Amino acid sequence: MRIFKKTKQKTTNKQETTTTQRRGASQWAVGWRRFKRNKAGLAGLFIVLFYIFIALTSQWLAPYPPRSYLPLYQGEAGQPPSWKHPFGTSKAGLDVFSEVLHGARGDLYVGVGATAVSVLIGLVIGAIAGYLRGGAGDFILMITQVFYTIPLLPLILLFARVFMILVAQGFGLTLILLLLGFFGWSTISFVVRGEILRIRELEFVKASQALGASRWRIIFHHIVPNTLTPVIITASLLIAGNILTEVVISFLGFGDANTSTWGITIQEGITYMRTEWWTPVFPGLATLFAVLGFNLLGDGLSDALNPRLRD
Amino acid sequence: MEPLLDVKGLKTYFFTEAGIVKAVDGVDFKVEKDETVGLVGESGSGKTVTSLSIMRIVPQPGRILAGSIMFEGEDLLAKSEDEMRKIRGAKIAMTFQDPTTSLNPLYTIGSQLAEVIREHNKDLSKKQVTEQVIKLLEMVRISEPELRIKAYPHELSGGMKQRIAIARALACGPSLLFADEPTTNLDVTVQAQVLSLLKDLRQKEKMSLVMITHDMGIVAEVTQRVQVLYAGMVAEVADTRSLFKKPSHPYTEALLQAVPRIDQRKDLKVIPGNIPNLIDPPSGCRFHPRCPYAQEICTKKVPPLEVTDNGHLVACHFWRNLSLAGA
Amino acid sequence: MANLTIYVIRRLLFMIPVFLGVSILTFIISNAAGDPIALIRQGLRSVSPEVLEALKAYYHVNEPLHIRYLYWLWDLLHFNLGRSLSGSPVINIITPLILPTLMLQIPSIILAVAIGVPIGIYSALHQYSKKDVSITTIALFGYSMPTFWLGLMMIIVFSLYLGWFPSGGAAGITKIWWGSEFADRIAHLIMPLSVLTYVQFATFVRLMRGNMLQILREDYILAARSCGLKERTVIYKHALRNAITPIVTILGLGFGSSLAGAPGLETAFNWPGLGYKFVQATFSLDIPLIVGITVIITIMLMIANIITDLFYGLIDPRVRLG
Ligand SMILES: Nc1ncnc2c1ncn2[C@@H]1O[C@H](COP(=O)(O)OP(=O)(O)OP(=O)(O)O)[C@@H](O)[C@H]1O
Ligand SMILES: [Mg+2]
Repeated sequence: MRIFKKTKQKTTNKQETTTTQRRGASQWAVGWRRFKRNKAGLAGLFIVLFYIFIALTSQWLAPYPPRSYLPLYQGEAGQPPSWKHPFGTSKAGLDVFSEVLHGARGDLYVGVGATAVSVLIGLVIGAIAGYLRGGAGDFILMITQVFYTIPLLPLILLFARVFMILVAQGFGLTLILLLLGFFGWSTISFVVRGEILRIRELEFVKASQALGASRWRIIFHHIVPNTLTPVIITASLLIAGNILTEVVISFLGFGDANTSTWGITIQEGITYMRTEWWTPVFPGLATLFAVLGFNLLGDGLSDALNPRLRD
Repeated sequence: MEPLLDVKGLKTYFFTEAGIVKAVDGVDFKVEKDETVGLVGESGSGKTVTSLSIMRIVPQPGRILAGSIMFEGEDLLAKSEDEMRKIRGAKIAMTFQDPTTSLNPLYTIGSQLAEVIREHNKDLSKKQVTEQVIKLLEMVRISEPELRIKAYPHELSGGMKQRIAIARALACGPSLLFADEPTTNLDVTVQAQVLSLLKDLRQKEKMSLVMITHDMGIVAEVTQRVQVLYAGMVAEVADTRSLFKKPSHPYTEALLQAVPRIDQRKDLKVIPGNIPNLIDPPSGCRFHPRCPYAQEICTKKVPPLEVTDNGHLVACHFWRNLSLAGA
Repeated sequence: MANLTIYVIRRLLFMIPVFLGVSILTFIISNAAGDPIALIRQGLRSVSPEVLEALKAYYHVNEPLHIRYLYWLWDLLHFNLGRSLSGSPVINIITPLILPTLMLQIPSIILAVAIGVPIGIYSALHQYSKKDVSITTIALFGYSMPTFWLGLMMIIVFSLYLGWFPSGGAAGITKIWWGSEFADRIAHLIMPLSVLTYVQFATFVRLMRGNMLQILREDYILAARSCGLKERTVIYKHALRNAITPIVTILGLGFGSSLAGAPGLETAFNWPGLGYKFVQATFSLDIPLIVGITVIITIMLMIANIITDLFYGLIDPRVRLG
C-alpha cells in the first residue's frame, strides 16, 4: 500500500536516492553549486589549475631549458636566491626556479598519467569483480586485496632499477609512470566494485532489470554514471599520492636523470644542504603545494558529489 | 481537558550549505491523552523533523526558530537541556524509521535497554535492571528474552530490531510515543505483528501514540485522528473516519485516491508532480503547483487554517466550494 | 566466538596470497634477464666468482623456470635467503637492520594514534571552529608532504643551522649530548621519529575526524539522545566506540604503508635500517639482498595485519563471515 516511491528510509540517504535517479546534467550542476561553496575545494581546484598551467607552459616561462648546467656552471653556480635566480642556483649550475617549473611538467605527467593507467586497469578489474559472482569474482577481489596490501614502494624501486638496466634507456619518466600505474589500481578497483554492488541492489535498477532492460543499458545508464563520481574523487587523491611517490623515487635516484622533476632536484641539493638550503627547499615546497592541491580538490569533490559523506 | 501535547507555530529550519531548508514551517499539532494520532504526508513533508523538534533533538544544522511546545502544561522550549533530558525517554519517547540503523551495532541489545532504564532510575540494582529488561522483551513478544539479551543488533531480524526499538522507547513508561514509520522496512506479515503490538501496548500502557506514516491503510486501522502535513505545513486535521469519508483538502483527497482498494477496481493514482524543494518553496499555498483545483489566489496567498462545518481544520482557500471524494 | 575464529583463520589464510604475490613479483623481476645471475652481472658491482657459483646453486639456474621458482620459494619459506653479493648470508645482513627500522616505525605509530585520535575527535566535535580549521590544516600539510623532504628540512634547521641534533645515523662516535651513549641514541632518534609521527598523526587525525562526523549523523546517535541519555554518554560511549573501531583496521595498513615508505625516510636520515639498505642494495643490483629485504618487510607487514585483524575481531561484534 505504499503510495510513494521510496527506496531508502534514512533521512541522510534521501539525497542519495535522488542523485542516483536523477543524474546527468542537473546532477553535475548541483554538484558544481555545492563545490563552489566549499572554499577548501575551490582553493584546491585553483592550485591544480595553476600547476597545470605551469606544466603546459614551463618551456616558455622558465628562463633556462631543463637540466641545463652549462650556462651557469662557471660563475653563477651555488648562488642564493636573487632577482636573477629567484630560487637560487645549485652547486652544479642548475637554475632552481627553472627546474621547479620544468618539474611541474615531469611530475604532473607522471602523477596524472599513472593515475590514468590505474583508472583504466581499476575500472576493468573492479567491474569484473563486481559483476562476477562466486569463485571468479572472489579470486579477482583477492588479487585486488593483494595489490592493496603489498609494500609498493620497494617493489616499484626494484622494478624501476631492473627495467632501467634492461630495456628502458630513453624510456625516461614513462617507465615510472607505467610502474606506478600498474601497481596502484587497487583503490580504484575497490571503489568501482563497491559502487557496482551497491547500485545493483538499488530498487530502480532491480526494477529495470525486471522490466527486461538489457545488460548494456543498465551498465551505461545506471552503473557508469554512478561509478564516475567516486572514481573521479579517488583519482584526484591518487594523483596526489602518485606525485608523492614519484618524488621519493626520483629523490632516491631511480628516476630519469635527463628529465627535470622535483625529486631529482632535491636529490642534487642534499650534498650541499648545509650551505645551499635553497636547492632542496623549493622543489619540496612545489611538491607540497601540488599534492595539497590535489588532496583539497579530491576532498572538495567528495563533499560536493558524494551524498553519503555530506551533512 | 487540556491536551497532552499542544504545539503551536513550530518552525524548524535546516541551515545547510545549499540554503535554508524550511522543513517545518509553522505547524500546529495536538495530541490528547490516550489517543492515537496519525501524522501523514509524503516523504520529505516534515513528519520526522516535527517529532525530533518536539523532543528537541533536531540534528545539526537544524534549529527550532519559533513556536511553543506545551507538554503536560509546561513549555518544552523553555526547559533547560538537563530538564529536557529527563523528559526524553521517560515521558516522551520515539522509535526511528529504520530499525537497522537506530540500534548501536557495537553493544548488545540488553545493554542498550539497561542503559536507558538506569539513566532514568538511578537507584535500581543491577539485578532489578536485568529483570526489567527481560520484562520489556517479553512485553514486545520476543521469545527467549534471557538469551536475546546477549544478542547484538546484527544478529536479529528487522522485525525483531523494530520490537527492540519499541521496547527501548517504552522502557520508562512514557506517556507519549512517536512511532516513526514503524512498519516501512518490514515484511507484510511482520508489519501486521508490529502494528498489533503497538495497538495493544498503547492500550495497556495508557499512553498516547503518534503514528508517523505515509500508509493510509495503517492510518485507517490504528488512528483516531489524522494530521496531514504537506511540505512542512499543515494541510488538514480531522477525525480519521470523517477524513476518509469526506476530505476537505485537495491533497488529502489525492492521498486517499492513491490508496488501492480491493473492492473497487480503480487504478492506483499517483499524485502527479514532486514534493517541492523546501529551500525555495512555492509561493502562496505550497500545494498549488500540483493541485487540480488551483486558482489565481492560491499562487499568491497562504491559506489560513480554518474550521470546516464538519469539524476539520483545513488550510485551503476553496474548502467551501469543493466537494472532494473520500476513500 | 566461533565466528571470530573463522574470521581470524580467513584473515590468516589471506596472508598466503599476499606472500605468494610478493614472491611472484620479485621472482619475475629477478629473472627478467633470463635468470638472476645474468641480471646481477649487469649491475655495477664486481662479484667474486665464488659467490656467483654459490648463487648459481642457490637459484638452480640450470633448471626450468617454474622448477626454479619452487626451489626458491621452498628456500624462502625456510628463511634461506641466499648470499648477498658481498658474500655474507642475506639473513645475517638483514637481522641487525630490523630493530632500527622498528625503532622508528612502532613508536611513531603508537604516538600518532595516541595524539591523533583524541585531536581528531576534538576537531569533529568542534567542526568549523577556529581550532578545527587549524587542526585540519596542520593535518592537511602532514599528509601532503614527502616524508623524507620534511626530514631534510628538519636536518637543515635543527642540525645544520642550530646544531641541536645530529644530522643522521642512529648513533655517533662523538656523543653530542653529555657524552652519554643512551642520550646519544635518543638524540639521533628524535628527528626521524618526530617526522614520521607527524606524518602518521596527520592521517589519523583526518580519519578520526571524518569517522566521528559521519557517526554523529547516524540514527543510533539520535536514538540514544531520544532516550534521554547524557550527551557525554552519547558521544563518549556510543559515537566514540563506533568511530574508533575502523581506526584499528587502518593501523595495520598505516604501519604497512609507513614501512613501505622507509626507504625515503631512512635515506634522508642515513638511518641504518631496512629501507636504507634496500636502496643501496637496489643500486648495486644485489638481487638476493633486495629480495630478502622485500620479503622481510612483507612478513612484518603481514604480522601487523594479523594483529590488527585479531584486535578488530575482538572489538567489533559484527565481524563474521563476509
Ligand atoms: N539533517 C538534515 N539536514 C538538512 N535537511 C534535512 C535534515 N533532516 C531533514 N531535512 C529536510 O527536512 C525535510 C523534512 O524531512 P523529514 O525527514 O521530516 O521528512 P519525512 O516527512 O519524515 O519524510 P520521510 O517519509 O521520508 O521520512 C526534508 O526536505 C529533508 O530534506
Ligand atoms: Mg521521516
